[in-house]
Amino acid sequence: MKDPYLPNTAEIVDVKKQSYDTKTYRVRFVKEAIQTEFGPEPGQFVMISMPGLGEAPFSLSSGPERSDCFDTTIRAVGNLTGILNRCVVGTRIGVRGPYGKRWPLDKAKGLGVLVIAGGIGLAPLRPIIKTVQKNRDMYGTLEILYGARTPADEIFVDEYEEWKRIKDTTLSLTVDSVPKGVTWPHKVGVVTGLFDDMRTPAEDSIVMTCGPEIMMRFVARGLLARNFRRNQIYVSLERRMRCGMGHCGHCQIGSKFVCKDGPVFNYSELQGLPDLTL
Amino acid sequence: MVKTRILKKAELGHLVDRLRKDFRVIGPTRKKSEHFLSVIHCPEDLDLKYVTTILPPRKLFLPPVENLCSFNSAGEAAPTDIETQRMLIFGIHSCDLNGLLLLDRVFGKDYPYPRYLERRRNSVIVAMTCTSVGETCFCDSMGTGPEPKAGYDILLTDLGEQFLVEVGTAEGDRLTSPMGWKEAERSDLELKKKILAEVKEKFKKRIDTDGLAEIFEKKLDHPLWKELADKDLACAQCVMSCPTCFCLDIRDQWSNVPGQTVRCVEWDACFLLEFAEVALGGNFRKERSARLRQFMGHNLSWGGAAQYGPINGQHKCVGCGRCIRVCPVGIDITEVAKEIRGS
Repeated sequence: MKDPYLPNTAEIVDVKKQSYDTKTYRVRFVKEAIQTEFGPEPGQFVMISMPGLGEAPFSLSSGPERSDCFDTTIRAVGNLTGILNRCVVGTRIGVRGPYGKRWPLDKAKGLGVLVIAGGIGLAPLRPIIKTVQKNRDMYGTLEILYGARTPADEIFVDEYEEWKRIKDTTLSLTVDSVPKGVTWPHKVGVVTGLFDDMRTPAEDSIVMTCGPEIMMRFVARGLLARNFRRNQIYVSLERRMRCGMGHCGHCQIGSKFVCKDGPVFNYSELQGLPDLTL
Repeated sequence: MVKTRILKKAELGHLVDRLRKDFRVIGPTRKKSEHFLSVIHCPEDLDLKYVTTILPPRKLFLPPVENLCSFNSAGEAAPTDIETQRMLIFGIHSCDLNGLLLLDRVFGKDYPYPRYLERRRNSVIVAMTCTSVGETCFCDSMGTGPEPKAGYDILLTDLGEQFLVEVGTAEGDRLTSPMGWKEAERSDLELKKKILAEVKEKFKKRIDTDGLAEIFEKKLDHPLWKELADKDLACAQCVMSCPTCFCLDIRDQWSNVPGQTVRCVEWDACFLLEFAEVALGGNFRKERSARLRQFMGHNLSWGGAAQYGPINGQHKCVGCGRCIRVCPVGIDITEVAKEIRGS
């Protein structure tokens, strides 16, 4: 039996700066067979490591639209991510996965798709946008609500125009605050502040959200107040993860393992669980 | 029909010596007032008159720390081999055996963990019907003892002058049939029943498990969590001594070979502050009360069958009582269960 803990060697083939602390890395496994087998689904994550620095979980910011490489968008907040932030094209990293449950894109077929993101939480939602773009006729309207702390914290900025050009798609932006001297033509305030102008109806729609847990809490409550039902809402949770396979126990919330039962959960699955602020 | 035989106590040493030829035999050994699961070098090392060992058998399948792989200076990973000698665990009790059966699910369901499973495949279990109920034992009430019901190759029951031997697997038969022991008689089986009935009378602690999982889920805000947290040291000795606590950490460190690093896996505990910490200092169980609740809740409510489907006994807790014995401030899981259930 091959040891699933052994990372596969992969190479960074492209680095794109997203913001002052966040970059998107395009990665390709060195062994072609592993790259071919990889086949990630939107919403899944990988464990990325560098020898000596350790391993951490990262969402995939690309989906199945490309089979020759994958994207992951990483914010430099710690030891490993700080080093990754300094990596250039050609750097080799260790990757294993993909792990976890995907976004319910099958269930979303024929429905209006509402994507609500906060900060770096847009990264695992990007594959949804890509999937809807590629299979435009299969889905209803696409509405993206994105909140960041400041304009400088937004990621995938250069893709917004392309997203807006997708048929029946709207993108609304908001930031918590705007520094002096910065022009910001959009809304200021938390992401739920965009709800009043939201076009997606509670009927025949599905919501997929990712961001800080406190944001998702208010998103879910705000939606319920607007007659969305719990089972229409899907969230992607963050927890400490060491293995990705339900062994290490760190990501447990009650009987759920975020790594294998999630990270994407239906909101109705998450009622009454301990240590969850949703 | 289960094969049953009789092993005279005088022949136990002979059996242990025979087994040592094929296996690394591990069993309870006495050091001062405590028992340890250690390598049996000679039959005299083995002391079957024990309550529980300091650490449960999980350490034999999941060492407290071990290397997963090493990386050369080019960053290429090479797996660390695991030992290949077959292991035989002699004399484990029902609580610990049920603990292993739960770990089999943790590391065998969904994503197999080869290091654990390989060691399990390479091991033989000679279990004992437990006749030495300790002050903190409550396996009877958890449905996990004192008599092992499954998971053993050979089961021994102390009948006084002799052991009743029950064969659980083909491997158990292979090891016992050439020994020339006589068949057990109906009276031997009757004696076992009588002994078991007497043993069951000895339990001083118990947990009423009826509906307990659901009761816990409804009492996440019970004031007990904060009350206990005030005296709790969060030292995690309960976790370290638990036969079913499986949490692991994975981290890298430099090895003693220049240029080489190793990735190791080691025991971790939900009681420790950093356990649920994420980037930027977020911590989903920052409060000690939340960590205490996680340990108790995982053991009595949302672990076990809730995570892995039907098991012997429905809970992660197998009633070995170690966590009560080792707790420096006297936190008792059976009392917690009682308090949470309420009157």
